[in-house]
Amino acid sequence: MSGRSKGAPFKNPGWAGNTGEFDLSEAQVRGDDFVGERPKHGGHASGAGTLPYMLADKEPEARLFEGEYQQRFEKILTRYPTKRAALLPTLGLAQEIRGHVNPETMDRVAELLELSPAYVRGVTTFYTMYNKAPVGRYLVQVCTNISCNLCGADEVLATFLRYTDTELGETSEDGNFTVIEAECLAACGFPTCVQINSRYYENVTPADVQKIVEQLKKVGD
Amino acid sequence: MSTTPPTSAPTAAPSAPAPATVTLTIDGQTVTVPKGTTILEAAKTIGTKVPHYCYHPGLSSPAMCRLCLVEVEGAPKPQPGCVTTVADNQVVRTVSDKALGNRQGVLEFYLVNHPLDCPICDMSGECDLQNYVHAEGREHGRGVEPKRVFGRDDFGGDVLFYGDRCVMCTRCVRFMSEVEKDERLTVVERGNRSVIDTFFDEGLDGTHWSGNIVDICPVGALVSKAFLHKARAWDLEHTPSVCASCSQGCNVELHTRDNVVQRVKPRENLDVNGWWMCDYGRADYEWMNEGDRIEAPLVRQADGSSKAVAWKEALGGLLARAKELQGRPVKAVVSARASNEDLGALAELVGALGGGEIVYRSPRSAEEIVLQGFPTLARRKDLAPNVKGAELLGMHRVGADDATGGLDKVRAHDGIVVVLGDALADQDERFGASAALYVYVGTQLPVAARAAHVVLPVTTHAEQEGTFTNHAGRVQRFWPALTAPGMARPAWLVLGALVGELSGEAVPRTAADAYAALAEAVPAFGGLAYPKLGARGALPMISGAAVSSGAKGA
Repeated sequence: MSGRSKGAPFKNPGWAGNTGEFDLSEAQVRGDDFVGERPKHGGHASGAGTLPYMLADKEPEARLFEGEYQQRFEKILTRYPTKRAALLPTLGLAQEIRGHVNPETMDRVAELLELSPAYVRGVTTFYTMYNKAPVGRYLVQVCTNISCNLCGADEVLATFLRYTDTELGETSEDGNFTVIEAECLAACGFPTCVQINSRYYENVTPADVQKIVEQLKKVGD
Repeated sequence: MSTTPPTSAPTAAPSAPAPATVTLTIDGQTVTVPKGTTILEAAKTIGTKVPHYCYHPGLSSPAMCRLCLVEVEGAPKPQPGCVTTVADNQVVRTVSDKALGNRQGVLEFYLVNHPLDCPICDMSGECDLQNYVHAEGREHGRGVEPKRVFGRDDFGGDVLFYGDRCVMCTRCVRFMSEVEKDERLTVVERGNRSVIDTFFDEGLDGTHWSGNIVDICPVGALVSKAFLHKARAWDLEHTPSVCASCSQGCNVELHTRDNVVQRVKPRENLDVNGWWMCDYGRADYEWMNEGDRIEAPLVRQADGSSKAVAWKEALGGLLARAKELQGRPVKAVVSARASNEDLGALAELVGALGGGEIVYRSPRSAEEIVLQGFPTLARRKDLAPNVKGAELLGMHRVGADDATGGLDKVRAHDGIVVVLGDALADQDERFGASAALYVYVGTQLPVAARAAHVVLPVTTHAEQEGTFTNHAGRVQRFWPALTAPGMARPAWLVLGALVGELSGEAVPRTAADAYAALAEAVPAFGGLAYPKLGARGALPMISGAAVSSGAKGA
């Protein structure tokens, strides 16, 4: 695996190879941008054995809603009867640009949509899918809702924090991991569920955590 | 247009249009209320208070506190009383086993994260969580888990937030968005981590009505900084009064302990201020507690010094001198903070002395601050409570908008000068020096009273009974909350005694007498008497045109 050179976009090696089940090429599944080397441990093309996509690097200070993004913002506004209703997609767009929604972003969105900044903050913090600060390449979301909690989610969360060497909501020093608590991930049949970027890890026990973290670290370095 | 009324009216009557009232049974009692009333409000009419947090009559109902759930016969699940409207023949039970069991369960959840720090909480004694748990909660908690901790947050203004005590009723959030219409507060985060907050460091600075969120907070989450740890709720005496901070005349309660006003709270009056009052009025009470008061009548001696004397001596000397000077023109200056009775007595006195001119000065602010969600309430431009009363009595305004100047004629007057109320803050010690008789009737002794021949100590509105006339002409009563210092007496009593001696009329014994005399003498106050005014005041029983023409003539 090649080392990560500065400037060159990093290719995610999440493709497990065509197992014959689907007649799809690697590029069709992953998209050109994310085609990488096949991991040695193999896996299932549909996702079960694959590694998660790595989050794309974002410029946290990027200018909001300019150029192409300005057009997209205006298009969002046309889809809703009121400006207030366009809040969620607008925040989503802001997160796409900067990778997170910080207070300055909330203030700007409030201004654009003629809402109070406090209201925008309330909405942003309600949804766990808006990152309130820049996140690492892997966003580890541990479900701590009822089913998972009863099956030891708190223990899993603590173990993730230990192996990634971070505090809850903080990003590890190497920029790889951000660990947060998530509300129900709709996988109550498979507790504890951990979502890492777009990929679910189900039935996670504290014993599994080390392996998951090391696997991801190996790829990320 | 002309065809429909005669034909439709008789036919509509038998087919009975939708009834305007609904009759139902609440806890075995039959209740008849207007259609569209909620169960909670219907229960109130028979004296049954259904416990609730999120519901407030002045705000929308999100039905999220789950405490007002009541048993409705036929409904599969308990119904929230604050949003469920009544229906004919409905059978509601608010104290059945099911309803009580529900409340006990909900209250147990409320205590999961509540710190139970009642001994150091300002709300203790008037807290809905404390009351409800004490009445209907479990005897002992079963929780063994650690509680989540937020600590406290300074929201700016007079508001301090203790997140741990919060029950998430969101009354404060809804007040700011629906009534003040300045959406400063929000619920941040979700679930167990949710907490009330502003936009980061923005706080509530620059808002004018945010003190109300402290009043409507059902627990001790939002507390007043000015009242922090000052007094326990059960030690306070509540006296109905009227805010003296502007001419709106908000109905308030003065909460006192040890003869000191500790705080001011709004008193419900839908015709004037709803449930609300502004932050300026709320903060404007320390002057009632000031200690440097005139405590005895002072009479100037030949050598220029003043001597404290008994009332009889002071009034006797004053009367003798006044009779000598009777007929000399009188010039009087009054404060628009004096009550109708006080001002009326002064007007009578001036009349009994032979007539003259009465002026008042009152500070005015540049603009009104309207409460957007309750637009009949505003902090009015006139920053004194009884400007309208003074106008109705024929007194007229002099001086600038900051209540200075305009007294040159009175200063140089060589007849009789009378000052009522503390209205001379900008004047120096030569005020009234050339007057033949200068009587100063006030609460505190300014330098401008130095030349006064007689100084008579009177009470503030917090120490006496009386009425103010608000900007709309509504006459509202206030009651004494404090004991007056020393020999200070209400001005209507002092001035009324002088009038009685000069004119031979009966001296008013009570504030009600004084008002009755005023109502008889001045048509603008007519048709009203204390019993009719009640605790919430009334408009004079004359047409609006008469009131305004009276003001214009004055």
